Amino acid sequence: MANEDSRRAFLEKVASTVFAGMVLGGAEVKAEGSARAPDVVLTPPPPFKISSEAQEDVLVRMQRDLERALKKPIEERKWGMVIDTRKCVGCSSCTVGCVMENKLPPGVVYRPVIDLEVGTYPNVDRRFLPRPCMQCENPPCVPVCPVGATWKRKDGIVEIDYDACIGCRYCITACPYSARTFDFGENWTDDAASGQDGALALETGRAYEELANFEYGEVWKRHEGPIPQSPVGNARKCTFCIHRVEKGMLPMCVTTCIGRATFFGDLNDPESLVSELIARNNAVRLKEELGTEPKVYYLV
Amino acid sequence: MVERKHPNGLLSVLGWIVWLALFIWGGWGILERLLYGHRFAAYSSYVPWGHWVAAYIYFIGLSAGAFLLSSLVYVFGVRQLERIAKLSLFTAIVTLIMALMQIWFDLGHLERFYFVYLRPNFHSMMAWMVWLYTAYFLLLVFELYYAFKKDGAKDPAELARYKKILAWLGGIGIPLAVAFHGGVGALFATVIARDLWHTPIYPILFLTGALLSGGALMTMVVAYFWPARGEAWRETVTYLGKVVLALVAFDFLLEWAEYSIPMWYGVGAEYQKLMYVLFGPYWWNFWIIHFLFGVLVPVALLVWGRGPGAVGLASLLVVVTFFAVRLNLVIPGLVFPELRGLEHSYTDPTLPFNRLSFDYVPSLFEWQVFFGVIAVGIALFYLGYRYLPLVTQKEVA
Amino acid sequence: MKLSRRDVLKAGAATGAGALLGSEGLRLMSQAMAQGEGGVYPLAEPENVIYGLCLQCHTECTLKIKIQDGVVTKIDGNPYSPGNLQPQLDYTTPPEVAAKVDGSICPKGQAGVQTQYDPYRIRKVLKRAGPRGSGKWKTIPFEQAIEEIVNGGKLFAEIGDDRVYPGFKDVFKLRDAKLAKEMAADVAAIRAGAMTVEEFKQKHKDHLDLLIDPDHPDLGPKNNQFVFMAGRIEHGRKEYAKRFTFGGLGSINWYAHTTICEQAHHIAFKYATAQWVEKLGKYHWKKGKDHMKPDFEGAEFVIFWGTGFAEANFGPPPMTPQITQAATDGKLKFAVVDPRLSKSAAHGWWIPVKPGGDLALALGMIRWIIENKRYDAAFLKNANKAAATAGGEKSWTNATWLVNPKTGRFIRASELGVGNENQFVALVQGRPVAVDPYDTENPVVGDLEVDTKLGGLPAKSAFKVLKDEVFKHDLDFYAHEAGLEKKTIVDLAREFTSHGKRAAIDFYRGPIKFTYGYYAAQAIIHLNLLIGNVDHKGGLVPGGGKYNAMGGVFDLKKMHTGALTPFGIKSNREASGPYETSTLFKRDGYPAKRPWFPFTDDVYQEIIPSAAAGYPYPIKILWLHKGTPVLSAPAGHLQIEMLKDPDKVPLFIADDIVIGETSMYADYVFPDLTYLERWAFEGFSPAIKVKNWKLRQPAAAPIPEIVEIDGEKMPISMESVMLAIAKKLGAPGYGKDGFAKGWDFDRPEDYYLKMVANVAMQDPPVPPASKAELELLRKARRHLPRAVFDEAKWQKAVGGGVWRHVVTVLNRGGRFEAWDKAYAPDGEFVAHAWGKLMNLYAEPIGTGIHSVTAKRLFGVPHFERLMGFDGKEIVFPPEYDLKLFTYKEVTGGQSRTVSNYAGQQAVLPENFVYINPLDAKRLGLKDGDIVRVVSPDFDGEFEVAPGKRQRVEGKVRVIQGIRPGSVAISWHYGHWAYGAGDVEINGQKIPGDPTRTRGVVPNPAMAVDPYLKDVSLTDPIAGDSAYGGTYVKLVKVGEGRAEVPFGDRKYRAMAESLFSG
Ligand SMILES: Nc1nc2c(c(=O)[nH]1)N[C@H]1C(S)=C(S)[C@@H](COP(=O)(O)OP(=O)(O)OC[C@H]3O[C@@H](n4cnc5c(=O)[nH]c(N)nc54)[C@H](O)[C@@H]3O)O[C@H]1N2
Ligand SMILES: Nc1nc2c(c(=O)[nH]1)N[C@H]1C(S)=C(S)[C@@H](COP(=O)(O)OP(=O)(O)OC[C@H]3O[C@@H](n4cnc5c(=O)[nH]c(N)nc54)[C@H](O)[C@@H]3O)O[C@H]1N2
Ligand code: SF4
Ligand code: SF4
Ligand code: SF4
Ligand code: SF4
Ligand code: SF4
Ligand SMILES: [Mo]
Repeated sequence: MANEDSRRAFLEKVASTVFAGMVLGGAEVKAEGSARAPDVVLTPPPPFKISSEAQEDVLVRMQRDLERALKKPIEERKWGMVIDTRKCVGCSSCTVGCVMENKLPPGVVYRPVIDLEVGTYPNVDRRFLPRPCMQCENPPCVPVCPVGATWKRKDGIVEIDYDACIGCRYCITACPYSARTFDFGENWTDDAASGQDGALALETGRAYEELANFEYGEVWKRHEGPIPQSPVGNARKCTFCIHRVEKGMLPMCVTTCIGRATFFGDLNDPESLVSELIARNNAVRLKEELGTEPKVYYLV
Repeated sequence: MVERKHPNGLLSVLGWIVWLALFIWGGWGILERLLYGHRFAAYSSYVPWGHWVAAYIYFIGLSAGAFLLSSLVYVFGVRQLERIAKLSLFTAIVTLIMALMQIWFDLGHLERFYFVYLRPNFHSMMAWMVWLYTAYFLLLVFELYYAFKKDGAKDPAELARYKKILAWLGGIGIPLAVAFHGGVGALFATVIARDLWHTPIYPILFLTGALLSGGALMTMVVAYFWPARGEAWRETVTYLGKVVLALVAFDFLLEWAEYSIPMWYGVGAEYQKLMYVLFGPYWWNFWIIHFLFGVLVPVALLVWGRGPGAVGLASLLVVVTFFAVRLNLVIPGLVFPELRGLEHSYTDPTLPFNRLSFDYVPSLFEWQVFFGVIAVGIALFYLGYRYLPLVTQKEVA
Repeated sequence: MKLSRRDVLKAGAATGAGALLGSEGLRLMSQAMAQGEGGVYPLAEPENVIYGLCLQCHTECTLKIKIQDGVVTKIDGNPYSPGNLQPQLDYTTPPEVAAKVDGSICPKGQAGVQTQYDPYRIRKVLKRAGPRGSGKWKTIPFEQAIEEIVNGGKLFAEIGDDRVYPGFKDVFKLRDAKLAKEMAADVAAIRAGAMTVEEFKQKHKDHLDLLIDPDHPDLGPKNNQFVFMAGRIEHGRKEYAKRFTFGGLGSINWYAHTTICEQAHHIAFKYATAQWVEKLGKYHWKKGKDHMKPDFEGAEFVIFWGTGFAEANFGPPPMTPQITQAATDGKLKFAVVDPRLSKSAAHGWWIPVKPGGDLALALGMIRWIIENKRYDAAFLKNANKAAATAGGEKSWTNATWLVNPKTGRFIRASELGVGNENQFVALVQGRPVAVDPYDTENPVVGDLEVDTKLGGLPAKSAFKVLKDEVFKHDLDFYAHEAGLEKKTIVDLAREFTSHGKRAAIDFYRGPIKFTYGYYAAQAIIHLNLLIGNVDHKGGLVPGGGKYNAMGGVFDLKKMHTGALTPFGIKSNREASGPYETSTLFKRDGYPAKRPWFPFTDDVYQEIIPSAAAGYPYPIKILWLHKGTPVLSAPAGHLQIEMLKDPDKVPLFIADDIVIGETSMYADYVFPDLTYLERWAFEGFSPAIKVKNWKLRQPAAAPIPEIVEIDGEKMPISMESVMLAIAKKLGAPGYGKDGFAKGWDFDRPEDYYLKMVANVAMQDPPVPPASKAELELLRKARRHLPRAVFDEAKWQKAVGGGVWRHVVTVLNRGGRFEAWDKAYAPDGEFVAHAWGKLMNLYAEPIGTGIHSVTAKRLFGVPHFERLMGFDGKEIVFPPEYDLKLFTYKEVTGGQSRTVSNYAGQQAVLPENFVYINPLDAKRLGLKDGDIVRVVSPDFDGEFEVAPGKRQRVEGKVRVIQGIRPGSVAISWHYGHWAYGAGDVEINGQKIPGDPTRTRGVVPNPAMAVDPYLKDVSLTDPIAGDSAYGGTYVKLVKVGEGRAEVPFGDRKYRAMAESLFSG
């Protein structure tokens, strides 16, 4: 077991350096902690896209940003998300991707995409607004929890400890973005015929619902019953896919976004793509007036 | 102890039948709750608090009201109510238990309720509530204990001592009751995300509501179940009737304030929600159940009605319809999407409940559990009424 | 034992440590532990990944399939593939690095786990235990099923049916390869007029019993009475099934579904790209490519015409990123021509054309462009390759070639004495010059507008033919027909012609699903040709193309020992030459009993009605593979009665993953493997400009039963059923030496892995897999049974020499050229250019004849309205006043994703009947009202099983984003089978899932052809079925609730009744 683990750890290490090497090419890694004022300073990003030969998928750029951030201590990271509503095509791939990634049951959703029609024929438009958890700097969902089962981590992510949550749903009412939902213990195949495998796959056909998920890097096996197994009976919300992020992978809704409309990275890193994007004057946040200070920005 | 503690034969049998039906039907619901969790409850991820939370604040209100009534006696020495002081205390205990049971069933993990003691977060109004209830519960038990003791006091010194203890306990109890029930109001009022709840008037409204519903409950109990129908009884009932009338009026005044201000210019999110309460699909809940049967008819009965029967009926109406007020408080605060269009963005396709809907109507199951709790409450009350010295010759005389 | 953070916290809470520490303390503790600990996430490991191919829709995106505890748990995009990451990872990236990079896929792709694991999936062979469609089944052993369908007989005697059912042995009559070949040649001679029927009969008098009808040898052998009808069959399987049908069973009747899909688009492209080629000394038009697309990356202006980039098409994952990026960068503007404000249109310039007004719109644009000389005359004048090269172009057109308008034929150089009969003629400054399209030496730059007489022949340049045809109507007329302002047409045409060659039009089903679909498609292609954008950066491009899987190391087209030559007229008369050369024409003359389709194939909606009508001949066995014409074809419900009748369809077998809306009528249903369990391959649509090859391979352990065929264990699937039948019949090309000496055909992968090998070894071969990668191959397949993955068998299928190369491809899910190879070094053209002739005038069509009306067709786009085969315009009574059209939701994959609870169902539990508020007001309808969709041919319901009626009724939703006067109903809903209906198996009732029944299928309301009366309106050229054009009436059958802000209110009624007592 220990062997297996260390081998795995080694592999991971290799993988991420190889990856970094691959995407960074021959670029030098910056030396840190120099005493003098730097000779070379960072420049603000251009307000428009400049032509560049070396194009790359933003996903690759962001993964590079991510690997860089992971090298820092956790308290120096500040994960943030940027959603470009001009690029979002309302496909809900992020929604469904998130559901499948986190094995969300019916009734639980972390990132619905709102599709709003505005205007009158023929001057009509549709606007798409994906809504993950805002991972608020001042999260109203946190202080209300009677058992302290939800809190803001050092990297800014608002976590729920499913083992501690008593399922009172106070936090759900307190979130101004309806970002929290409740796990009622339902399953997608609840209404389908059930029984043993025979002519039809009544049993194996629902096997996937029993699998564990890995939110917060833990193993969660849902099971309802007189004493439900968490996360059944808990409040649930978007985790920023921290279980992936800490493995050097981008959140699911980011990687699966066909519009390349969702960006993720370290807001504390001035060179990250997300930092670049929120510096523009088209970046807004939802319900700014509440003072929740969301870490999800929208480009409009 | 007095002999006839309950109404005559036929009514009694009928009562038993009704209770048994409630108990079986409700108990079945409770059993289902324990076995299948929240599967048959109709609240959702978007309307996460529903009928049971309304029921909980309803019961809690009854408890606080009943308790405050008793405190009038023990703390302020209101003589007219002396007779029902112990009964009020006991009612406060029973309704508190009902409230806690109700909210316990509402928890996603009822087996973890004790976490609130083990790892409380005192930033949370809810943690405060639980701790306050605990204190309150202990207080009630002590107070009742000393009330019995007081009854059995052998000499005036002892009597005075008990009276003093009771005054102290009641004295502590008053701020406690005010705190926790005002606190329940605050539990809602502090939620900035919900503009319907997010109003400073809530704690006061909750308190008034508690007094009103609790007072009405006691009035109803005294009017209908008091073993001796003498002049004293008549007097008490009449007095209680006046209290209830005053409270109905005051509560309505606050309600008026709560509704009229946001409605004035006819814009804004709160306006929208109030309009929903008043003229939405459940308009009848407000106008017919609450306003007609909870305000107009009781006021008419209390003002023009003759005798304890009318007072009792008015109080009964107030108690029962007050649940509508509680529903109207919890649910409309939640049924509006916080982000427009959320209701269509992603839904729960499985039957029978769409958990991603803002369209909440309590399910049969939720009523079942509610009535189950009531059945348990009635049983507790009956047992106490029967076997505890709550109403003795002294009260009846 | 290692304690996880969770264990510690739990213990903390349980022991009451929390009470001491408070929640603050717990929080700190937890955070301390969170730091540095990566947590558990097995899906980041390469040994839990198999690369495959999606089939939730036919875009077939490359996938990264992740496995957890032996179960497919998560599906993402393949980072090696340009469809999911743009640019993709370098092909040499080690798999453990790629494991951490996920590419994008669409919501259907994400929900695929629920297609794989669907409780209603079939595991065993089902044989009906009641009349067809009764929903009563029993399971039977695989061997018994094969036995029964091969031998036929009184198969249903036990349910009181004494009919003798045919078996495969009754159609597998002509078994002699040599004889087949000879007969085929002789039939061709009959069709060419070189042999008479009598001569044929004489010559083959000993074998006439092998023919369907000796008096009509051109109908072919009895083998043709086996019909293989595939719905959405994919490449790889196509070739596999063709091998079985053609070379194996000697039947000509292999069909796919394309005319319910987008055939007019394909056919128009195929004729636009047809090349004049020689075969055995004779020249003919060889149809070309079926699909070209704008180069989205390089374009400045793109028109998405009746399609988009974000919902359907081919498809969101490869296309959307290119477009959203270019558009937000300000490089790309785009318009969307669509009667509804689609998700794509939401971000662009919406042109709300009238449904079916597209032909008029395109012709209007062409007219304006010609009138205002906004076309690229220099490009159009190049008549051959040399001219194109000289003009700096890669491709050229036949715009200047001369047509004889009397015959519709190009004038041949020999006719004017300027060259031979295989050359064409153009006028060069008034002088006729022979044109050899492929001449690289002598450029011919022709005159564009020619209308003259030459050598006594009337002669018009193709361009002039087009111009005259288009100028028959003025812009006002076209604007009126398109339902748009004239200004809109002009604006659109002007914008389109304002970007040089950096503009292009993408179109798909929207404009073409009409009886004039071919012309509409051709007109839209012509708009591209007019600006000369072919192959240019930002223009219309052919895409990177795919690596050749059929040849190379293994020439799979030839590796078929003893293959039969199928011949004869196809059972729906498609691709069977002109009606006039058939012996049936001699018998019947005009009008043909049912139309012939010489220019097209896969005329799907005609297969079953033709069989039912027995024209041109009755069939014996129908095998339906992965199709559901009853549900998905317009007016397909009419086929229920035909399928239920064993006189018309004597033996009906199907393979399916569930009991579907059409397989429910079959005699036998075989379970099939899903796209996550099986083999196949595909190439990207032209949206990807680099060369590629996408591989589907078994990733999930199979759900269907594992059976043994000839000692080989394998799950039941289309492949294994074919193997079993072929082996039982002794059909050529299977079993020992089936491919060639020493190369046996005993398992599906014997075939498919050879394809992989061909691709792997194509020059230059991919690098061979390292030892670690070989190990990875095994590890990642540790959950697969040996009946699926047996390394020795896999290796044997390709031979040791190439195995390691094959593994490299398997470990990457295909082969992909680097993204930066998209453009040619000059930067102006794409690297994979078409570089050939493009046809403004389609000669085969221009000389073709409508087999029913006997009228000549047009070589250029020609304005017409909706028409029946009788040649009469379809007129709808005025009370049918909403024009129905349909579309696909991005969450819906044809008829087969209703099992995706988390995808299709959760995003949209039911589809709606969308109308504009103006119509809602006029019709007194409001949001939520239930309406029945009624058309002149359809009263709103039909019978699907005895006593079970399906109603076409849906919920109205009133939206601004739809053109007034029309009604949109999406596809994918309205199921009564596919897990939606109850069935009885082995006497046990298995209830359907009520959630799957929601919504409405619009297809039954679509108009029926007045001549044929049993099938939808059909495009006589492309054979495409008409989904558009029907006017319907919405009849209110239920009251809706006024407002919708409170979400779904299905349980309100129940609860309200509770409240009110
Ligand atoms: N989501 C999804 N994507 C798919 C598939 C799927 O099932 N689901 N299937 C794949 C397959 S097989 C195919 S063939 C392609 C089809 O790809 P598309 O052709 O792009 O898809 P459709 O939705 O059939 O039609 C496209 C658009 O035409 C519009 N339309 C309807 N009538 C008219 C009309 O009269 N004129 C004009 N101008 N527009 C009209 C519709 O509103 C719709 O937006 O999609 C492929 N991709
Ligand atoms: N109204 C309307 N109708 C449409 C369209 C539209 O846009 N609007 N689109 C049209 C288009 S473009 C197309 S291509 C057609 C496609 O429509 P269909 O030809 O019906 O294709 P599918 O939905 O792919 O699959 C048909 C059936 O195959 C079975 N099946 C599913 N998966 C598998 C499998 O893995 N193996 C086997 N053996 N069987 C399987 C299921 O029973 C399924 O219902 O629909 C057309 N119909
Ligand atoms: S969005 Fe809601 S759940 Fe998320 S941190 Fe903010 S308040 Fe909490
Ligand atoms: S539901 Fe759970 S996380 Fe939310 S407030 Fe209650 S205990 Fe805390
Ligand atoms: S970050 Fe992860 S958890 Fe959050 S919405 Fe995206 S996919 Fe879901
Ligand atoms: S996946 Fe991307 S484009 Fe699609 S809805 Fe989500 S954010 Fe928008
Ligand atoms: S577009 Fe979506 S459903 Fe279609 S193949 Fe690609 S990922 Fe699968
Ligand atoms: Mo299609």
